[in-house]
Parts: sequence; structure tokens; C-alpha cells
Amino acid sequence: MEEEREVRILLVDDERLVRRSMEKTLLRAGYDVESAGEVREALEIFRQAEEDGEPFDIAVLDLHMPNFEGVDDPNAGLELLSRLVAIAPTLPVVVLTAFDEVRRAKEAVTRGARAYFVKGREAGLIELIEEILS
Amino acid sequence: MSQAERRKKVLCIDDTPTLRRLVRRLLFQKYEVLEAATGLEGIDIAQKTRPDLILVDLHLPQLTGYEVATRLSSILPKTPIIALTADTSAYVRERALASGCWGYIAKPIEADEFQRRVDEYLGGVREILEDQSFVESYQQTLVLRLEEKVRELTDALQDNERLNRQNRDLLAQAERRSRLLEAAARVSHSITSILDLDTLLRATVDIICEEFGFYYAGVFLLDEKGEWAVLRAGRGEPGRKMVEAGHRLRVGGSSMIGTAIAERKARIALDVGEEPVHFKNPYLPHTRSEMALPLVVRNEVIGALTIQSVEEAAFSEDDITALQTMADQLAVAINNARLLADLEEAHRELVRSKTFEAIATATGEAIHWVGNKAAPIPGSVQRIREDVSRYLVAAHLLLAEAPEEVRESKFAALLEEAYAELQAKGVDLAGLEKEMRRYSLRRLLRILTVESIFEDLEIIENSARSILNIKEDLIGPARKKRLQVFDLNQLLRETVARMGIKDVEVIWELEEGLPPVRADRVQLGRVFINLIKNAVEAMEGRPVRRLTLATTRSEHQAGFIVIDVADTGVGIPVDRLDKIWMAFYTTKGDRGGTGLGLPACAQIVGELGGRIVVQSEVGVGTIFSVHLPTVDAPEEETVRVSQQEGSEVE
Repeated sequence: MEEEREVRILLVDDERLVRRSMEKTLLRAGYDVESAGEVREALEIFRQAEEDGEPFDIAVLDLHMPNFEGVDDPNAGLELLSRLVAIAPTLPVVVLTAFDEVRRAKEAVTRGARAYFVKGREAGLIELIEEILS
Repeated sequence: MSQAERRKKVLCIDDTPTLRRLVRRLLFQKYEVLEAATGLEGIDIAQKTRPDLILVDLHLPQLTGYEVATRLSSILPKTPIIALTADTSAYVRERALASGCWGYIAKPIEADEFQRRVDEYLGGVREILEDQSFVESYQQTLVLRLEEKVRELTDALQDNERLNRQNRDLLAQAERRSRLLEAAARVSHSITSILDLDTLLRATVDIICEEFGFYYAGVFLLDEKGEWAVLRAGRGEPGRKMVEAGHRLRVGGSSMIGTAIAERKARIALDVGEEPVHFKNPYLPHTRSEMALPLVVRNEVIGALTIQSVEEAAFSEDDITALQTMADQLAVAINNARLLADLEEAHRELVRSKTFEAIATATGEAIHWVGNKAAPIPGSVQRIREDVSRYLVAAHLLLAEAPEEVRESKFAALLEEAYAELQAKGVDLAGLEKEMRRYSLRRLLRILTVESIFEDLEIIENSARSILNIKEDLIGPARKKRLQVFDLNQLLRETVARMGIKDVEVIWELEEGLPPVRADRVQLGRVFINLIKNAVEAMEGRPVRRLTLATTRSEHQAGFIVIDVADTGVGIPVDRLDKIWMAFYTTKGDRGGTGLGLPACAQIVGELGGRIVVQSEVGVGTIFSVHLPTVDAPEEETVRVSQQEGSEVE
């Protein structure tokens, strides 16, 4: 089991504490997690991983962040999603949302995201990822 | 010779110039000849010159020769008066003698005969009237002539008077018309610049009454359905009462206003008692004349103007022209004011909906913000719970394999007791045990460290602190105030010193000798901490990081000072400038700004009677200017502060 290649997850959220907490949860669940607090950094990490032959298996992206112009944007995650899918068309993406923005997250699902996850109960995120990857 | 001493004078009264010339030619060598063309002229000359002989034509215009002779014979009884006449009718000679003539010479004149006769009369010849009845009949003629003349004169006099009156009336009318037109122009001029409808209407009725000297004026405007004319402004106390009572008249009803609107025609009632459509108004008992003028704009009647006078027949048809001109101007002015009011209402509606939108946005932002801050807490809590459980499972497994004496130590008892507690709480210990047995030490060390537990505790602590700061920021302005008078420059210096700003160049531009401010020093200090913190954060990662703090006297508001907090930071986009004053709004993303400070700052400064103004340019920087009243500010500017002093100081 230890020899199995670990599932690689890209986690992107601009809220530092939220990001760190989810990162820890995912690490504990046995995933190989790389995280970014900003969309440009995230895109760079993703490209580098593709080049290095260690592509990500799934991306977990916050929706409401500063966008590529650095301006606060409720749909910054969607923009990143489309850029990642342009590189890796089969990449499953989970979008993260605050509990008051579920409607927007559902909309994101219609625009290419595999699923959405409401931040808070992190054990649920593990279940969701396992379901997507199984 | 007596002839040489004094030439005798002969006066010839005849309206024919040729005859007068003939007489002159015949007589001038012997006598001095005087001429007169009319009877009156003849009398005047005779009175002045007292001639020795008078020749008078019997057929003169106006006064006849007979009458002239009669008059002259009474003025100059000793002067011979000789009649000249072409009249050949019977008894001309007798009539002439009866009128006072001494003799009679027939026309055409024969030169020899004429000269001889003149000489004779001058010599004293006087013909005798045999039949005295001619005198009587002449006197009767004279009386008739007199009566006739008196009648003529009386008629002429009456004519004169009539003409005079007519002239006077025309003049008065012209003057009145020009006065009305002037007043109308003045009214129009005064009202067209008023854009507030109520002010316009009130001013209009006052100006009309003052300019024209009318008893009352009122403006009616149509209601929305166009069924009623509603009084919107009336002159004086009666007007005010009627407006308050909601006075209105039905369009097309029996009132003058109602009719004027329905027929789009001015109506005049000169004797209001007789005008069938006049509304007998108990508020205006003295009205004797009334005029109702429709107010028409672009072919649409919007109401009517009523003008009332205490004089009977105060208005003429001519007045309608002048007053209708004014009413037309008034209608345009009313229309303008209404359009403006509509525009302003639309604008207010927009502001209202924007405000609701802003509140909704702010509430949403708050929910989002708090949700985000709280999100990691459950995860961290769950992990700490697991980590504690794992450590105790590890201890339990270790103790199971330990020698007897170890298992009997009090520390073993302590650990086993804790393990039993976990079990009692229903934690899935068997599952954890299975997992821990399966994982390698490397893997266990990756997930289970004291550092990780401390990190999770920190996540919880920081999340909680962020959320708690909301409360601190929100209740900031509401805290009980301890007002004191202090120097603002001093406060700024202390604030910056306490904040320990790093990696930023601080430039001071403080004006010395500024009057002190009266405020809660701690609270105002917080305002500047907030502004300075924002400025410093906006400059993070910027090539030039320069914070300028400047104080100066306000150029626009006496007794106010202005404190500028200027940075060389990223700047705030124009479309976000108004949002920065909303609670929970942040332009700073993850850079640690809470976005909570500015609304609180604005509130604190506002309560002091001041305000905060922001100027910003993206990529250049932002200046927050705090305008604050000092103790030198005029009374009305500090009212709010002193009220708070009275009610909120502990």
C-alpha cells in the first residue's frame, strides 16, 4: 500500500488559515497536497507539475479570490478552472465556497467543475474527493 | 388845416380781401384806412383805435354785420357805422338802420358815389329809420340768434367734455395697459427663476397681488386624473386656510376656475353677484371682480390662476391680454419646476434603491466574511481531538506491552484513566488503533506532532480573534466617550510612535500652533491607527513606501483643521471608492485588512461634527483627509459634540 503512488491534489484558497486547515486535513487523509494562496501561483505550480511528469489528479479551488489582475473577484476560481482544464482537459475540479455562496458554486458546476464543497466540515471534503476519484 | 393836423380813420370790416383793397384804394389819400376780416376782429380794432367811421359788411361769417353794428354802436355811440351790402332784398336798409347803422351803401361800390357818401357820413349825416317796428323785429332776431349760439356753444361744450373724457380714458387705459404689462413682465421675471414648485407658487400669488394691487390671487393645479383643480397656493391668510382645507373645484363645474380650465378660456366676472358660474367663497367675502386665467403649457391645461379685486369692474377685456401673457409665463415656470421635482424624485428613488442595495451588499459581505473566518475552526477542532486520541491510543498500546512495574506507576494510571474517558465518550478507538498499527513511523510523524496541535490551536485562536475584532470595531464608535481638549499633532506623533511602523518612510508636515480639538482622545487615536494601518498595508510590496501625515487649518471652514494621511500604495479603483465606507467591505483580499475600520472611523469623526474625505488614484496612492472642528469652530458646528458631552460623558 505504501508503494502506491499518492493521489496529488492542488489546493487554492486566498484565506491563509482556511487553506492551511484544509491542507492538513487532506495530508492526514493520505493525499499529496500542494497549495497556493493566489491564482497565478497556482497556475505556475500546475504547469510545472505537468512538465515534471507529476501531474495533479484533482484540483480544489476557492471561487472568491483576487483574480489574475489582482482584483477581488467572486468568480476568480472559475477563471483558474478554465485555464487548468485547458492544460489538462480531464482534470476533475472541486470548487470551494462559503455557505452563503452555494448558488454561485452550483453555477460553477454547470461551467465545468465536477463538484462543489461548502467550507467548514472538512471530513466531507475527503469523502467527496474519494467519491470523485473512485 | 384841421385835415393836416389829424387824418381821419376809417375802419373797413369785410371778409372779402378784394373789397377791402378797393376801399383802401379809394380812401387812402384822404383817410387812414384800417381793415378787419371778421366781426370780432373789427370790434377789437375799433375799441383800440376809435376810428372816425366804420364800414361793415352785413354778411360776415360768425357775428353778422348787423350784430357787429349793434355792438359797435354801444361801444362808440358817436361813430358813424355804415353798412355795406350786396343784399338787394326788401328792407335791408331798414334792418341795417335798426341794428345801429347810420347809413347804407350798396355793393358793388361805385367809386365816385362811394367817396362822396363817406365824406357825407363823416360830415355827420345820419339816416333816419322811419318805421321803429324794424328795431323790435331786429331785437327778436337777435334773441333767436343768441339762443341759437348758446345752443351751439352748449353743444360744443358738451362735445368738448365728451372728447376730453374720451381722451382721459384712452390715456388712462394706455397707462393701465402699460402698467399691467410691466407688472406682468416683472412677475414673469421673478418667477421663472424659481425652481421649487411650492416656493414658486407661493411667491407668484404674492408678487401678483403686490405688483397689481389685487385683493387676492390663487393658483390651482389639476390633479392626476384631471378631474379637480386643487388650490396649491393662495394669497395671505385666506389662501393658507383654503390650501390647508384642501380647497378644490371640479373641472367643468360651475366655478369660474372649473369653466376656465374646461374651456381653456379666460373668464371675467365684473360683478360677481351676476356671474352665474361664480363660486361664492366665504374666505373671500370682499371680492367684487374676479378673473380666471387658464394655465396652458404646450397645448395642455395644467391649472388656472384666479385673480380677485375688491373693486367692481376691476378688469377689462384688455387686461386679459396682459394677464394671460403672465399666466402663460407662469404655466411654463410651473412646468419647469415640476419637471425638476420629478427629476429629483427619480434621483432620490435611485439613491434609495442604491442604499438598500448597499445594505444588502454589506450584509452579504459580512456573512461571507464571518463564514470564511470561521470555516477552519471545525477542521482544527476535529484534528486536535483525533491527535489527543492518537497519543492516548499510543500510550495505551505501549502500556499493554510494558513490564508490570511500569504498568503500576501512577503515570500509567493517569494515561489509562484518560484512555478510559475517551472510550466512554464513544471515540472509535479500535479504528484508530488499527490505523496506527498499519502506518509507518514516518507517516505517523507526518500527521501527529505537537507542532501540528499547536498550529491547529493557533488557527482556532486567530480565526476567533478576527471574528472578535468585528465586535471591537463595531462597538468602537458607540463606546462611552471621555471628551477632553488636546493637541492633535501630539496625538499623531504618539500614535505613530506606538505603532512602530517598519519599512515605510514617514514624512511629517504638521502645522504648529493649531487650536486644540475636543474629543475622546483614545477613540480618535484609534481612527488614526486605522487610517495609518490601512495606508501601510496598501503600500506592502510597493517600490516606494512613503506615508505622509499633514495637519493644517481648513481653508473652507472656519475653526476646522484637516489631517491628511497619504500613502503611495496601490490606490482604490473609482468604482470601489464609495464602498469602502460600508461595513465589512475590503479591497485588500488576503492581505490582512479587516475592512472594518473605515465605517467605524467615519462614524466617530461624524459624531464629532467632522468628516472624512478620500481621494485615490490607482497605482499612485490614496489620501484620507479628516476634517475636524476645533474648539475655535463656530457654535453650530460643535452643537452635536456638546450634545454628546451632555448625554454621554460618564
